[in-house]
Amino acid sequence: MVFACFFATGQNKQILYDFSEIPQALLINPGTETDFKWYSGVPALSGISFQAGSSGISVNDLFADDGVNFNDKIRDRLINGMNPRDDLSGTYQIDLINFGYRGAKTNNFYSFGIYHEGDAIGYWFKDYAKLAYEGNADNLNNRFDLGHLKTRGEILNVFHFGVTKQIDKKLTFGVRGKLYSGIFDFTSTKNRGYFVTTEGENNLLANTINADLELKTSGAITLDHVLDEEASATELIKRGFFGGDLGLGVDFGFTYYLNDQTVITGSVLDLGFIYHNTDVLSYSLKGNATVEGVEIILPDDANNPNANFWQDLVDEVEELVPFEENRESYITFRPTKLYGSLRYNFGEPVQPKTKMDCDCRMPNKSSNRIKYRNSVGGQLYVINRPRGPQAALTAFYQRRFGNIMALKTTYTVDKYSYSNVGLGVNLQAGPVNMYFMADNLLAYRNIAASNYASFQLGINIISWGKN
Amino acid sequence: MKKLTVYTFIVTFFLLLTSCIEEQDFDQYNDLSVVPVLESSILYLEATEDVINNVPPGPFYSEDFNFDPFSEEFFSDRVLDGVITYELENTTSKPLTLNIEFINDADTVLDVESFTIEASPSGTFQRDVTYGNSGKSLDILRNTSKIRVTASNNGDNTSTSTVTPPLVTLKSSGKFSVRLK
Repeated sequence: MVFACFFATGQNKQILYDFSEIPQALLINPGTETDFKWYSGVPALSGISFQAGSSGISVNDLFADDGVNFNDKIRDRLINGMNPRDDLSGTYQIDLINFGYRGAKTNNFYSFGIYHEGDAIGYWFKDYAKLAYEGNADNLNNRFDLGHLKTRGEILNVFHFGVTKQIDKKLTFGVRGKLYSGIFDFTSTKNRGYFVTTEGENNLLANTINADLELKTSGAITLDHVLDEEASATELIKRGFFGGDLGLGVDFGFTYYLNDQTVITGSVLDLGFIYHNTDVLSYSLKGNATVEGVEIILPDDANNPNANFWQDLVDEVEELVPFEENRESYITFRPTKLYGSLRYNFGEPVQPKTKMDCDCRMPNKSSNRIKYRNSVGGQLYVINRPRGPQAALTAFYQRRFGNIMALKTTYTVDKYSYSNVGLGVNLQAGPVNMYFMADNLLAYRNIAASNYASFQLGINIISWGKN
Repeated sequence: MKKLTVYTFIVTFFLLLTSCIEEQDFDQYNDLSVVPVLESSILYLEATEDVINNVPPGPFYSEDFNFDPFSEEFFSDRVLDGVITYELENTTSKPLTLNIEFINDADTVLDVESFTIEASPSGTFQRDVTYGNSGKSLDILRNTSKIRVTASNNGDNTSTSTVTPPLVTLKSSGKFSVRLK
């Protein structure tokens, strides 16, 4: 059951954040201070990331070969053990194209590209599960909250162009415009209502449903046709290249040096929306009805010998709580993310890459910045989710080994884990840049018991050559 | 500090390299049993004493009506057992008989529940009829597509009750275990 609600949302990239040796750091803070002349991501390999998390239960909790009755585990750990704020989430992102270059004004750095992204989140629909598992008997007057159904997900391509500008010696500011091309979307986040069984007014029991439920989808029909092989996959690909839903968004970010060694950074990502007006199919169930079974009240009903009491009851309920389809356009707002960090650099200075290569450091001030061997600090991550903002706190330590390797290790606390230790490695072999990052490493002792896993990797070509 | 850094990375890489997964038994899913117990009212019948007095003693109401919920595939294929509760109350001045017949598509009567209730004050009469296990056959319900309700006056048609309001009511509800998985 837990996997039947597989959904997800944006990934916390706490290891990549502010890892200025890696070009993809610009995607999570367009105000990241870099010293590249230009870079080019290897198409489809420059940025691959994946994340999956479950805040309430792990695979091991249910499927461990521990001798505990499986039905007891379902009842105790899933049905009664999880709450409606627990979620199952996941996301992936693949850089299709990613380029960056320093402008004629060396204080400006431009980066642009296309990435493909899928994300979704599904909260634990506790009362639906309880109703399906236990039934309504012996739950007299217990309201089953229909608002527990809360989920959203999307697959899209993002076309982006960003400018990072060094304002002065202390401040670097960046902005990135985004054009979203939606492929598939589903959203059901504003459900309300309840189902309750009470003592009846006339009859023994009354079942009442008060529903305001809605599921909106776009691209689902095309996806369904592709899966059924009634349409080719190019139909979906077209949707990802302006043939589907379109939207606009923007990222902001900055890096500010409090002094030579202390830096604060921040970014806001995906302030934007998508307008879904193609291939839309939505469903709703809205209304209020109370049923006490078939009612025959004499003498009134004696005058209608052909009455179909049962069908009349069904029709009445369907009229009071109609299940309807519509194709009306709708708007979704992107899951906006916020990052912030405070970093302290210390230790021996590392010789700048530009100087090492050709002694042709760019004249702008940031490239002359001393890079220290060590950095330590803290980061904050907040994402806007259907049940409100969700935060993560990270402490990190970063170590540079000359210009060929940099490591960053993190400790993160969030709703998924209090023991999330992550590690990122950045390698520079000439112009070839490679990075690999993974977190929640302690959970690798038994991956099945993990509530969270993520990784990021990529390959880029970087030049610090003469401007 | 340098040593600490090195040790930290060695330990972290060691954890990565030694990652493993405890044995999982996904076949446990086959043991999953989901059997909710569903409960709902079924039928409510109400007749005032005027209705009874308007016709000569004997049957004063008989009606067949379509009743599909028991034969719906979702229910008939999955029901394991259950109980139907009937509750009668008679505040009229005459003894009454009430029959509920379960009828299939071929108009064959599969089962009859018969109730005889004394004139007021007779209190509330309740009967629980179990189906499945040691109770009546579930096939009665599975094949029921129609219910016939017959009510008879076993007294006179002139007297009136002193209780307000004078009427006979039949309430009923069903409580069934249904196997979803």
